Amino acid sequence: MPSFMLLLYGNPETWANFGPEDIQKAIQKYMAWGDKLRSSGALLGSHKLADDAGKVMRGQGKVRVTDGPYSETKEVLGGYYLIKAANYNEAVEISHGCPSLEYGGTVEVRQVDPMDEAA
Amino acid sequence: MNDTIPATPDVLVDHLFRNRAGQMVAYLTRLLGPEHLDLAEEVVQEALLKALQSWPYSGIPRNPAGWLFRVARNTALDAIRHRTMAGEKNIQFAAERIRDAEAVVQSNSDLEEQVRDDELRMILMCCHPTLPRDARVALSLKTVGGFSTREIARAFLSDEPTIAQRLVRAKRQIRETGITFELPAGDDLALRLESALEVIYLMFNEGYTAQSGEDLVRHDLCGEALRLAKLLATSPVGTPQVHALVALMAFQAARLPARVDSAGELVLLEDQDRSLWDGKLVAMGFHHFSECSEGTYLSAYHVQAAIAAVYAGTQETKDIDWSAILSLYDQLMEISPSPVVALNRAVAISKVEGPQSALAALRPLSEDRSLRNYYLLPAVQGRLLLDLGDREAAADCFRQALERPCSEPERRFLKRKLAECSIAENI
Repeated sequence: MPSFMLLLYGNPETWANFGPEDIQKAIQKYMAWGDKLRSSGALLGSHKLADDAGKVMRGQGKVRVTDGPYSETKEVLGGYYLIKAANYNEAVEISHGCPSLEYGGTVEVRQVDPMDEAA
Repeated sequence: MNDTIPATPDVLVDHLFRNRAGQMVAYLTRLLGPEHLDLAEEVVQEALLKALQSWPYSGIPRNPAGWLFRVARNTALDAIRHRTMAGEKNIQFAAERIRDAEAVVQSNSDLEEQVRDDELRMILMCCHPTLPRDARVALSLKTVGGFSTREIARAFLSDEPTIAQRLVRAKRQIRETGITFELPAGDDLALRLESALEVIYLMFNEGYTAQSGEDLVRHDLCGEALRLAKLLATSPVGTPQVHALVALMAFQAARLPARVDSAGELVLLEDQDRSLWDGKLVAMGFHHFSECSEGTYLSAYHVQAAIAAVYAGTQETKDIDWSAILSLYDQLMEISPSPVVALNRAVAISKVEGPQSALAALRPLSEDRSLRNYYLLPAVQGRLLLDLGDREAAADCFRQALERPCSEPERRFLKRKLAECSIAENI
């Protein structure tokens, strides 16, 4: 089965006014979605990315390394989920349930290149 | 992934974050000092957001509260370091206190005991008599209650900027007048407890009068009020009076499921389906009611709890001991007279001596200006007149009641009563 990477971009403006109860409800929604992925066997892995900005390397002629990306940008890449799905449409179907969408964020769905898949 | 349990949505207990947020704010306020209450709140908020940003990937930790506390402490230490580097004086010592506090806590139960004490100090500080009463309520809910500014605004049918401003002023007052986290003693303690009970009961009533279909956060206020009162009652500064308030609120909260029927219509106490009353809350009421009978000081809460206990202990409406209730209202009128108490007493009179006596008792209240906008006075008068068969006079009263402010279910109730007057006329 092909693999897909779901890149979760969060919107810090959304949680600016969240109280503890709102935060708990949001976490519970993520847990529910994640549990469905886990129990259906679709979940291959998930990781949060570190909060500190790292390095951005650009190759334009020579390699230029700068600090970044910064969290002042509107949407912050918070982490990723790696899932299995029959095809791209099913991966998108699964992503519809991601709570990030409910909270003003973005989910980028990218297929892991089939040539790259281990047998 | 990490050291996590397979997470299900039920693993996080109801209001866990709200309750733990309140505890963490109290805990940090003790270590940072009340003048840094803002910082304590910021740190706690950051810790909760960190949970939101990582648990979806790593799962819920085995000890969610422990995780939150650990992250809150570390976030506080970071914040202190930044502020010290930015030149802020007097905050460096707070880092020492936080590190010392961590060393002292041997077990989870040590921490639990410590934060219970911190919460107690917090609620008592928020109820400092020099703070305006509205501010005491808002500050209590925001800090130890873990409610957001938006939730508080919704709960009190106000708006966010108003509540936000109220909180800013209160915190400024705490800083400028040097209000401390120390437990008051002697007479000060007695006064502070009075204030806290008043604040808590206000919170409860706000939540209790919320109608279903309105924001459920208002019902949460009842739960929070009960939680805080129990915290006070079972603390070293608890008194029988505090137990009385817990009993009163528990009995009232028990009746919440029966207050409106399935169509959303108001149901009077005597008509309520007792099987819908919350048994656990009734039991809690009786437990604290027996605790409150120690000592010699009879407070208004004691008498009100006793009245609620009579209702709670009766299986059927026909068995309600109205004489007992009437004599309790007599006592209440002596301790804490008010037009509202007089009105409730009149209802009891009507059951014991009949509608005529009750109407006579209500007559002086018609002149009372403070009841001008209180729909219940003409409503009760209308009911009594209907009992006596005077439909015209009863209709007048219900019409009068409808001119006064009340909620939608109450309005529909009054209209039904008004209709009863004319239906009977047509027979």
